[in-house]
Amino acid sequence: MSSQPVVFTTRTSYTIPSQTYMLPNTWKRFQLSQLINKVLALLQPVPFDFLVRGELLRGSIADWCTERGVGEEETVEIEYIEATIPPQRAATLPHDDWVASISCAQADRFVTAAYDGNVRIFSSSQELLHTIPAHSAPVLSAAYISSSVIASSSHDRTARLTRLDENGTADTFASLVLHTAPVASISANTDGSRLLTASWDGLLGVWDTNEPDADEVPADTLEEKDRAKKRRRVEDAKPQPKRKAPLEVLKGHTGRVSQSAFAPGSSTEAYSCSFDSTVRAWDVRTGVCTRTIALSEKPFTALALPSNGTVIASSTDRTLSLLDVRSPNAVPASGFGHPSLPTSLAAHPSDGVRVVSGAADGVVRIWDVRSTKAAVSSFDLWRKDEKKVLGVSWGAGIIGVAGEGGVEIWRLRDSGVAA
Amino acid sequence: MASDSEDEDFVPGASDDDDEDEFPEIDTRSDSDDADTPDEDEDASDASSSSETLHVGPVGKTIISDITGRPKTVYPEIEPDYDSDSSTEDDPNRVGNVPMHWYDDMPHIGYNMEGQKVFKAAKGDELDKFLATVEDPTSWTSAFDKSLQSDKPLTPEELDIIKRLQAGENPDATYDPYEPTVEWFTGKGKEEVMPLSAAPEPKRRWVPSKWEKKKVLKIIRAIREGRIVPKNPKTAASQPKVYDLWGTPSSNQPPPLPAPKVKLPTNAESYNPPAEYLPSAEEKKEFEEADREDREREFLPQKYGALRLVPAYKDFIYERFSRQLDLYLAPRVQRKKLNIDPNSLIPQLPSPSSLKPFPCYRASKLSHGDRRVRAISVSPDGLWVISADEQGRVLLWETLVGRPVRTWQFKSKVGALEWCPRKDVCYFVVALEEQLHFLTPPHQPASIASLTHALLSPSVAPESKAASPSPIKWKAPEAGVLADDEKPLLTIELPQSSGLVKQIAWHRRGDYFATLSGTESHTSVWIHQTSKRHSQAPFKKVKGSVQRVAFHPLKPHFFVATQRYVRIYDLSAQELIKTLMPGIRWISSLDIHPSGDHLIVGGYDRRLCWFDLDLSSKPYKVLRYHARAIRSIQFHPVYPLFASSSDDGTVQVFHSRVFTDLMSDPLIVPLKVLRGHRTKDGLGVLEVKWNPAHPWLLSAGADGTVAVWSS
Repeated sequence: MSSQPVVFTTRTSYTIPSQTYMLPNTWKRFQLSQLINKVLALLQPVPFDFLVRGELLRGSIADWCTERGVGEEETVEIEYIEATIPPQRAATLPHDDWVASISCAQADRFVTAAYDGNVRIFSSSQELLHTIPAHSAPVLSAAYISSSVIASSSHDRTARLTRLDENGTADTFASLVLHTAPVASISANTDGSRLLTASWDGLLGVWDTNEPDADEVPADTLEEKDRAKKRRRVEDAKPQPKRKAPLEVLKGHTGRVSQSAFAPGSSTEAYSCSFDSTVRAWDVRTGVCTRTIALSEKPFTALALPSNGTVIASSTDRTLSLLDVRSPNAVPASGFGHPSLPTSLAAHPSDGVRVVSGAADGVVRIWDVRSTKAAVSSFDLWRKDEKKVLGVSWGAGIIGVAGEGGVEIWRLRDSGVAA
Repeated sequence: MASDSEDEDFVPGASDDDDEDEFPEIDTRSDSDDADTPDEDEDASDASSSSETLHVGPVGKTIISDITGRPKTVYPEIEPDYDSDSSTEDDPNRVGNVPMHWYDDMPHIGYNMEGQKVFKAAKGDELDKFLATVEDPTSWTSAFDKSLQSDKPLTPEELDIIKRLQAGENPDATYDPYEPTVEWFTGKGKEEVMPLSAAPEPKRRWVPSKWEKKKVLKIIRAIREGRIVPKNPKTAASQPKVYDLWGTPSSNQPPPLPAPKVKLPTNAESYNPPAEYLPSAEEKKEFEEADREDREREFLPQKYGALRLVPAYKDFIYERFSRQLDLYLAPRVQRKKLNIDPNSLIPQLPSPSSLKPFPCYRASKLSHGDRRVRAISVSPDGLWVISADEQGRVLLWETLVGRPVRTWQFKSKVGALEWCPRKDVCYFVVALEEQLHFLTPPHQPASIASLTHALLSPSVAPESKAASPSPIKWKAPEAGVLADDEKPLLTIELPQSSGLVKQIAWHRRGDYFATLSGTESHTSVWIHQTSKRHSQAPFKKVKGSVQRVAFHPLKPHFFVATQRYVRIYDLSAQELIKTLMPGIRWISSLDIHPSGDHLIVGGYDRRLCWFDLDLSSKPYKVLRYHARAIRSIQFHPVYPLFASSSDDGTVQVFHSRVFTDLMSDPLIVPLKVLRGHRTKDGLGVLEVKWNPAHPWLLSAGADGTVAVWSS
């Protein structure tokens, strides 16, 4: 048995004295994890995963060294991260139709946007609280912007705001009118004062959340006719939502914008990704594109913001790209290869390194941005049924997955104490 | 006998000696020494017979004579035994070896030497016989003598032989089975002596032969007398009639090739081949099922325990016969071997990975159930796809997600559907049997929707300018009724019995479109103008049945593909410009490069032809790579790509770069074979369409699925 000089580094709170360890090179993840736990003398054992040059250590150290051609005297730098324990299926929320997205951002509430035009709200006990017929066309995204207001975006080219009362009634009070194509995503900043919509027509709209007093935008003649006809037919006396105009229109994308989001904790900085293979950073106040990161032939389908200043975006070439939007010369890290089209992305709410991706093959994968080669963990929802995953969301300790087969909630036990 | 032959041999020799002049007649025509050889042979035999002593007869023994006291040779007494003449025996009956029953009725039994009868001895009756056996002690040692017809007492020697035979001994009394060994070659004084004699050389070895001298003298005398003529003059008649087979000068032609050699047998041909040569059960089965021509080798290796168990080779006659045929029919021509590295002949193509992006995986799949999807079309902005199946269902869906957002159901089969290429309006045309419907997708922005409505169902219908009533009717829904997404905005009724519309081809501007119906008449092709609601049949007569039509992307040209030819017409000048001859038996599809200078034609006979329209009417390249008929081909409008789909269930993607430089040829690189569609009822992928905004491909299969292939 020979040994390998090893230096341990970490970005977690579990730091051990920095020195070179001579470790038997037959050791695997389990022994290394035990070693860290012993050195730290933790009361509660914490499982760790080990990254060697951006790669998760799957076999023994000797295996890794022979594969990479690393000699026995070379010092290997091993970074350790808290291990991700494979998630468990917690609940299934039944839907009749495909579900385009799910949001778990609000505690104890799940908002789903379905292709039948309804936004549904479930409690954490899987109870259907509201069914909001906000749109007449498939809803593409929905999210809580405050504890009582829900925003949704749809194929019918509008985004709508719905207020929920305590007595269980839902009132769609505003229709955001700007886009000439389906609105792919709607998102709010942290305090819920600004909304950002991304549409297939290449525009981004910035909106406030106030209820307009009157229609700010004149109605389309044809829509008016449609509505008149519908009213005649359905005898629906409900007042129509007020038509609301955007505060700012962000122009710059030449292709369909697939997703946009505010930077965490900011209401001025926003990011968007598009099918024109660019990721853009915006100053929302002035409506100026502050930065454009163009990659070649990567139509982006979704983006997530794992930490401040980094954007991870999935593209149709079945990879994820990790972009540093702060430093202008940073080379985007690519990798994270999927066997199928990644359709959606979500970042861990707090830890800044983990993202979850849903793919068209019905498998959801959890990635650590430091390990570009292989997923940290993956779980199979609908691979056998060939059903697509269309939306993922990472709440506190849970991952919500929406797609062709409805909605599933998976519980992810966070191994360590939140840093 | 040996002495007899020697005597005879000596006779001519003796006569020769007597008469020297009696020379054997010499053949005057022969100048060789052949004539002398028989004489020499005789001489040799004379010499050998004289020098050797042949012991053919009895060998004599040398004993010391009692009288003279000198050794003398004594020959053994000649015994008149089996091979000797027994006529000297004193037999009283000289009748010879005749059956004695001839004399049964006679009183005598033959004749003696003097010719007198020998009478039968008086034969006693049975009582006498009995008495004789009792009284005469020698009677039991007597035997019946056939020649004398009487009993004859046996001699003591004969009795001794009988006694010995009875005892199982050798009947010869003198035979001694335990004779002492005679030491012939061992022991003192009996050592083998080498056969080489130590005798001195005989005189004849060095004295000139008297006989030879005589012979030579005789020949000399004959020559002097002119009896022997040395060297006859040669005449033409005496020339042997032969010709020099190899004497002709060699021609320029290379010598005929030797016949190809039969291959030497290998281990597999052995009667006891090593185990690895023996075929397994399935190999044996495959061999037996295959035709003789398809077999890899002629025989099946078989193992036998011994060579003698090998049966006769049953294919022997066949094999010899085919070998003869091979030799007879084989062209004996020397082929110049090309000394070219085969790799250098392969064109240097860039690797597919350097030609990215191109579709390489299936991003999404939409199922139409069990119904064949015949037609798909992608909206000009690339966001939406419409697909139609054979039962009249048209689905509208978003490209990547693949969920239908709108469904239209028609009563009959949908033959074709195509999106209008204009971007300021948004509608598509669905072609059924004898009907074309104009539909618009839902959720259009107000500007586009109003423009579309203004175009397709204006409040005031445009005046038809045609003087004669057209067989084609443009039907708009009644004015005043609100347009609904479910119902077509406009309908064109084609003439009766024009059949299912197979193809819709839009002009690039989006005002004109051509339809192609299934019937083989001149009215199968119609060109419709949407803005003026006017239709016309461009051809009065069409040769052959039209398979495909297309508009030139830039010029006012119109392409018509019949079964075998592609004709290019100028629509403004109304004349035929060119006829292309792809050499395909049945054209299935056609597409024009967005630059307008190149054309690809696919056929049901698996061929794909690339035409450079500036060059000849023959294809620039003919490719054959699909296993089954090509169904559909299309160029990407932006990227340098084209794709073809086939009944073998695959879609193949090619890189096709066209250079603006006139000197360089188009570059065609095969990139990817996309598999995923199942073939059903012999039909594979029926249609391929490119997404105009991205290098994504859509394919509609006979298995009822539409696949989106993404890069």
